[in-house]
Amino acid sequence: MKALFSKLSFNQKLAIVAGVLGFLAIFAGSPYTGNTATMNVKDLALLVEREADHVSVDELADWIIKGKADYRLIDLRSEKEFNEYHIPTAENIPVGSLTDAGLMRNEKIILYSEGGIHSAQAWFLLKANQYKAVYMVRDGLAEWKDRILFPSLAENASAEERVVFEKRKAISIFFGGSPQTGTGDTKATPQLAMPKLDMPASSAAPAGAAKKKKKEGC
Amino acid sequence: MNAPYFKFGYFGDEISLIVAFVIGIGFGFFLERAGFGSGRKLAAQFYLTDMTVFKVMFTAIVTAMVGLFWLSVFGIVDLSLVYVSQTYLVPQIVGGLILGVGFVIGGYCPGTSCVAAATGKYDGMIYLGGIVVGIFIFGEMFPLLENFYTSTAMGSVTLPELFGMSYGLLVFLVVLMALGGFAGAEWVEKKFSKGTSQ
Repeated sequence: MKALFSKLSFNQKLAIVAGVLGFLAIFAGSPYTGNTATMNVKDLALLVEREADHVSVDELADWIIKGKADYRLIDLRSEKEFNEYHIPTAENIPVGSLTDAGLMRNEKIILYSEGGIHSAQAWFLLKANQYKAVYMVRDGLAEWKDRILFPSLAENASAEERVVFEKRKAISIFFGGSPQTGTGDTKATPQLAMPKLDMPASSAAPAGAAKKKKKEGC
Repeated sequence: MNAPYFKFGYFGDEISLIVAFVIGIGFGFFLERAGFGSGRKLAAQFYLTDMTVFKVMFTAIVTAMVGLFWLSVFGIVDLSLVYVSQTYLVPQIVGGLILGVGFVIGGYCPGTSCVAAATGKYDGMIYLGGIVVGIFIFGEMFPLLENFYTSTAMGSVTLPELFGMSYGLLVFLVVLMALGGFAGAEWVEKKFSKGTSQ
């Protein structure tokens, strides 16, 4: 047996190794690590502390305007609320059906809800299920309304603040919002009409997921 | 520390470019070592006189497949994080045929033309120029091609999912296919290189 083996060329030995490993693979079970994986509490705690998992509404608005398509934006609210208004390019997945909604573990997932609580809870659900790149929109839709759709400028604003506001105004108009100038008090504008849904969504996401970056090559 | 390192956030975008550079140099080095910097050697594959391309590529596939499989079974690699590119069946078949025709005519594939150009071969440099022109034309024509480009989308599918078999069985079948392929390649080489003097 030993003599027979030593007669083989190096390539033939490698071929045998490949054959054996391939044969044993049949009995090795699934290589995908499933739901039983443990989560590293310290790791998660550090992530929370560093706030590495936050996306600000400004960043998000910027990405939507640029038509970036390397992430999935998830609206965690109910279907009814989603149909009334949602951030352009978002898809609706209520918290309850999060883990069986077909999200991939290697996708960049950005969550938002009305405030910050539901998205933070959903963040833990996904993290514990080994989804790697999960982010939350800081302060959720409320912040989106405050800063992106209806930015306001106080009457006594400094010149610097006015320059910043001009930028915000352009972004707000892009998303169909209405910038608030003049009055600093919010009581004067109690009813802010939410923008129509079809407006920015069609211009902001030209081809959606189809435009994913190719990462392979010969 | 588990792989894939980039997805787990062990390093950022900047470092990833350096890592990509190092991997690219390594890839080019081994292509050159396999003799793939020569258009003659590559074209010989299509005349069945030299099956090196087939053997090297299949070896790479089997090594990577068996390696990834066992590393993930032992929990060192998280396979669900490894990027699987999307399948668009018909456009990718057409694209493959176009690439194949270019491969036979030019004697290089994109990667090997870089290797040839890097070692100072004029045909490699011209081929590389052709790639750039081709990319430009494709980019300019993309609005016309887009509907076809995104047709017959199947998402990110893998063979085990497609055939509904266990992952391990598929690994075994591919290994068998490769080993059979190697034996067949040796036979084909002997048969077709008889007439031509090497």
